[in-house]
Amino acid sequence: MTVVIGFEGSANKIGIGIIRDGEVLSNPRRTYITPPGQGFMPSDTARHHRAVILTVLKEALDQAGLKPEDIDCVAYTKGPGMGAPLVTTALVARTVAQLWGKPLLGVNHCIGHIEMGRLITKANNPTVLYVSGGNTQVIAYSERRYRIFGETIDIAVGNCLDRFARVIKISNDPSPGYNIEQMAKKGSQYVELPYTVKGMDVSFSGILSYIEEAAHKMLSSGQCTAEDLCFSLQETLFSMLVEITERAMAHCGSQEVLIVGGVGCNLRLQEMMEVMCKERGAKLFATDERFCIDNGAMIAQAGWEMFRSGQVTQLEESWITQRLIPFYCVFFFHKHYNKAWK
Amino acid sequence: MHLTQKLELFPDQRVTQTLFKEVKNAAELRQSAVEGTISGALINPTMLVDPFQVMVAANKAVHFQKTGKMKTRSLYSEIIFNLSPTNNISEAFKRFGISDADDSVMIVVVHDKNETQLPQDIAAKVDGRQVPVEDVSSLSDPAKIKKLYKITPQEEKCGTLLDAVVCRMATKDVM
Amino acid sequence: MVLNHSMAVPELLSKAELIKQGAEARVYRVQFLGKPAIVKERFPKRYRHPVLDEKLTHRRAVQEVRSILRCRRAGISAPVVYFVDYTSNCIFMEEILGSSTVRDYITSTQQSDSCQEQKLEQLAERIGQVLAKMHDEDVIHGDLTTSNVLLRHGQEDKVSDLVLIDFGLSYISALPEDKGVDLYVLEKAFLSTHPNTEALFQKLLKSYTLSSKKSSAVIKKLDEVRLRGRKRSMVG
Repeated sequence: MTVVIGFEGSANKIGIGIIRDGEVLSNPRRTYITPPGQGFMPSDTARHHRAVILTVLKEALDQAGLKPEDIDCVAYTKGPGMGAPLVTTALVARTVAQLWGKPLLGVNHCIGHIEMGRLITKANNPTVLYVSGGNTQVIAYSERRYRIFGETIDIAVGNCLDRFARVIKISNDPSPGYNIEQMAKKGSQYVELPYTVKGMDVSFSGILSYIEEAAHKMLSSGQCTAEDLCFSLQETLFSMLVEITERAMAHCGSQEVLIVGGVGCNLRLQEMMEVMCKERGAKLFATDERFCIDNGAMIAQAGWEMFRSGQVTQLEESWITQRLIPFYCVFFFHKHYNKAWK
Repeated sequence: MHLTQKLELFPDQRVTQTLFKEVKNAAELRQSAVEGTISGALINPTMLVDPFQVMVAANKAVHFQKTGKMKTRSLYSEIIFNLSPTNNISEAFKRFGISDADDSVMIVVVHDKNETQLPQDIAAKVDGRQVPVEDVSSLSDPAKIKKLYKITPQEEKCGTLLDAVVCRMATKDVM
Repeated sequence: MVLNHSMAVPELLSKAELIKQGAEARVYRVQFLGKPAIVKERFPKRYRHPVLDEKLTHRRAVQEVRSILRCRRAGISAPVVYFVDYTSNCIFMEEILGSSTVRDYITSTQQSDSCQEQKLEQLAERIGQVLAKMHDEDVIHGDLTTSNVLLRHGQEDKVSDLVLIDFGLSYISALPEDKGVDLYVLEKAFLSTHPNTEALFQKLLKSYTLSSKKSSAVIKKLDEVRLRGRKRSMVG
């Protein structure tokens, strides 16, 4: 039996999870929530993480009913993400690894999401839509490798939603995306917004600047409600995502879709993807907010796979990085998990 | 010598094309067409590259008739209008209809698949010599056609004159 | 009887040979006015809002025929359009007989034992030339892949002809940014479909650069777009 503890803190969530051979023993998390109209700044986020990380660590061990000596390996997010929060989380992971005398493992955040999605859903060979505040990618298997087929050519879909929320001052509690989703359920009028798909890539900056410019005018003139805007924005953004996912599936002949990342727990996105899958005779795999949103268990799970394949990160190499080239992360990933992924 | 072809989209309909040279009563024919006593389209063959061009125009006319989207008042005027690269109706008649001094004419009739008499009746009204429809290419005036359809020399490198003409006819609604 | 939506096209297609089921369109082989033809049917996508779906489907059919004509006028081969039914969003066009996709051609050439490098390099150069010509006409294809370029095999001694297809995502733009993204889309599709073709793609870009008068601004944008993908912060 192999037990791995994972530390995730690349953005405004701090999460620590423990995995024992595919079983999630604990996965507590805290979110740094800013007032409406504000995004989260790196230094404030890091301060939040520093304040709660030891409490979360204690919760993780208590809920799992484990002591430090039961842990085999300590995994942490090495990137991509925001510098200061990454540093904070890595520092604690490094410290406990030394205190407990356990090997350390730096994990790619993207791989954490994909690994966790596969573990929970048992998807076999999926086309992955990875959608979060910082990422929008369609990753699929082709010519014996996982490759990034489509992605945003400017901002991420979650970033677009968050910034829209700031424009019309939607609450960040529990998350702007969640509140947009709830408001969208009450929207009915469809407002046409720019729709930009280029091959298997998407662009969201045009729609954001359009809505930033027009939102207040449309709302004050009574042309539509805030709920209508949430509804129309979701309909437009998610149609673009489903379209490029389907295009990637058609391109590689894939029959499975796995949605991961924070935006992936949006039920409307899942519903639209489901309709597309049904029409193609394909199968949709999605998870809920426990595993879609950044969490510690996903880092533990990716760490578990890496640890089992014999990797560890030496202390002097236990750096973090704000940027990881997407292509790189997939190749890296594939090299080590060739067997697991067929 | 006439050519009867089916419209795959409208399997009960046939299109019959009949070509005449040495026509002496063009003015009379044109008058009958205006009055509606000839139920057929009278086309100036010098503007035709190939019978396929007529078929493309006829198919589109029948489609628009069935969907209530005709731009002109009858199926036959619609065929003439569809041959034109522009959306100007009187221009289309001037270029693709016949004029009193013409000595050749292509008669196009759309009819039921079981109908054989109608094309013959119309043909009987022509004082001229019937020739095979395929001979239309010997009557066509490529220079005039290229000018009217604005066909560039480089376009002819990637296809035939017929390709260029048909492509313009089919896409003119959204240009 | 007059109907707003003619059933003629759906009825014909129900008996036609389906040759490709794509993400948004079905492609059929039919006889049309006695000629071998292809029908591209854009069907409704039920996952999207009906208003959005209607707009996108119609817009794409219109864009497709416009770009085809614009390309052909410039001497770039693209299928001849025979008939468009905007009520069912179907385009009837010429079937490109005796052709294969560049995708299949590259794959089979790479698999064949004999060294065919030169053949592929020539092909890459010709693709670069055609795309340069298309961009000089301000046509942005929008979905460049090796599946969307056909190779029409010529007679024994004649060089085969490249035919561009699938203009559904195309639009008209003179902006180097749009042309750069067009090439970026192709680059990713090319390299992800055909392993170990980086050098071959460079040949394509080089020939594009030499053939287009406006290439330097486009290539500069291409470099920028590539960097954007890597430099973007990936928080969350």
